[in-house]
Amino acid sequence: MEVKPDLAEFVPLGPSVELAFFCGPLDLLLHLIRKNEVSIYDIPILSICDQYNEHIRTMQELDLEVAGEFLWMAAWLLQLKSKMLLPRTATEEGDPREELVERLLAYRRVKELASILHDKDLVRQCIWPAGVIADLDDEDIELDWEEIDLRLLAETYLHVMQRFAAAHPPPIQVLPLKYNVQDKMREIYQQITDDDLMPLTRHLNKRPDPEEVVVLIVATLELVRLGAARAEQRAPFSEIYLRRGRRSLDEASFDPNRREDADES
Amino acid sequence: MNRESLPALIEAVILTARSPVTSEAISMATDREIGEGEIEEAIVALAASWEEAERGVRIEKAAGGWRCVTPAQFDHYLRTFHGIASRQKLSQAALEVMAIVAHRQPVTLPEINFIRGANSAAVTRTLLDRKLVRLAGRKKVVGKPFLYRTTKEFLLHFGLEKAEDLPDPEDLVEAEVIADA
Repeated sequence: MEVKPDLAEFVPLGPSVELAFFCGPLDLLLHLIRKNEVSIYDIPILSICDQYNEHIRTMQELDLEVAGEFLWMAAWLLQLKSKMLLPRTATEEGDPREELVERLLAYRRVKELASILHDKDLVRQCIWPAGVIADLDDEDIELDWEEIDLRLLAETYLHVMQRFAAAHPPPIQVLPLKYNVQDKMREIYQQITDDDLMPLTRHLNKRPDPEEVVVLIVATLELVRLGAARAEQRAPFSEIYLRRGRRSLDEASFDPNRREDADES
Repeated sequence: MNRESLPALIEAVILTARSPVTSEAISMATDREIGEGEIEEAIVALAASWEEAERGVRIEKAAGGWRCVTPAQFDHYLRTFHGIASRQKLSQAALEVMAIVAHRQPVTLPEINFIRGANSAAVTRTLLDRKLVRLAGRKKVVGKPFLYRTTKEFLLHFGLEKAEDLPDPEDLVEAEVIADA
């Protein structure tokens, strides 16, 4: 609210409109009532409603975000305005403004208290507590019951869980291999036996799964090492062709248990 | 224990305590040798003598106990000394929420919103962060909204012994009615 006079100087507005930052629709309404010097118990709804809407329009023109609650109040005022214009029927009880007055009074009380708190805050924030702190272990500070609320409990719980998670990292999971080197060796051997020639790069490029590509390469290298396949490449980065090697393998050679024997021989 | 050194003992306790000290706690520290009443009297006398002497420390009663604080007039020098540029002031909205919680506690956010006629969720969150309000369970109504209460920090900050020490809103209303009439 303190910024009001400054802003009124810098923003040229119509004489009837001042820009102020209001804490809500009730705040704005109270301001209008005070400015018009009317009683809170007998609000001239017609003129207040128009002034209220003018304020909202100005806020919109200045691209200030007009919160929904301001618009809701505008609707309420409009409803009251129409009720006030209609002749009062006998069936209707009381003043249609009654609820609004009650809410304004309740809010004015809050504002009053807030201003008392504000004055106290101004003085009290300048007061420093003595900083002498005995050398105690911070972890063991006893908390008053008063200081323990649901939020502190929730924060403490999260803290404990984080510590637990840090102390118990999830185990490294070794997934079983989807492809088997022996199977791939058999597959490649079969193909070069049948076709006598196999373009390796083209074959690898067709595999979408990188894991399969790795297993295929390992299988190829194994076949070449065993002498069952020969790899040829004409120029760097060109296609690698696999051909039959000098050794032929039987089904037993693809048995992982037998291979070690083959190496030794 | 020597009665003459009681004020000195009280000084020592209040200076080293982390939070406001009750006369009961000091009495317990003397193994109940000195009664609460006597200690309370001694603290009041001590507080008055410090006040008179215009010292850099004062003893004040807040949040149900006694604590040692500096007079407000040295704030500027203290902030310069400790390298604290400026303090975050409580906004008007925050003060309103504070006022509502202080007087209607325990109170829920929907109730606060209704009285203010404006959404107060963000402001209430700031007050929670600044430890001026706390969550005190949930209201047993549809949606189980959280209940808010003021904290000890609130009492200390505003120099109150208890939340009820704030002026009664009903008194303010009466003043209003008289002013309006």
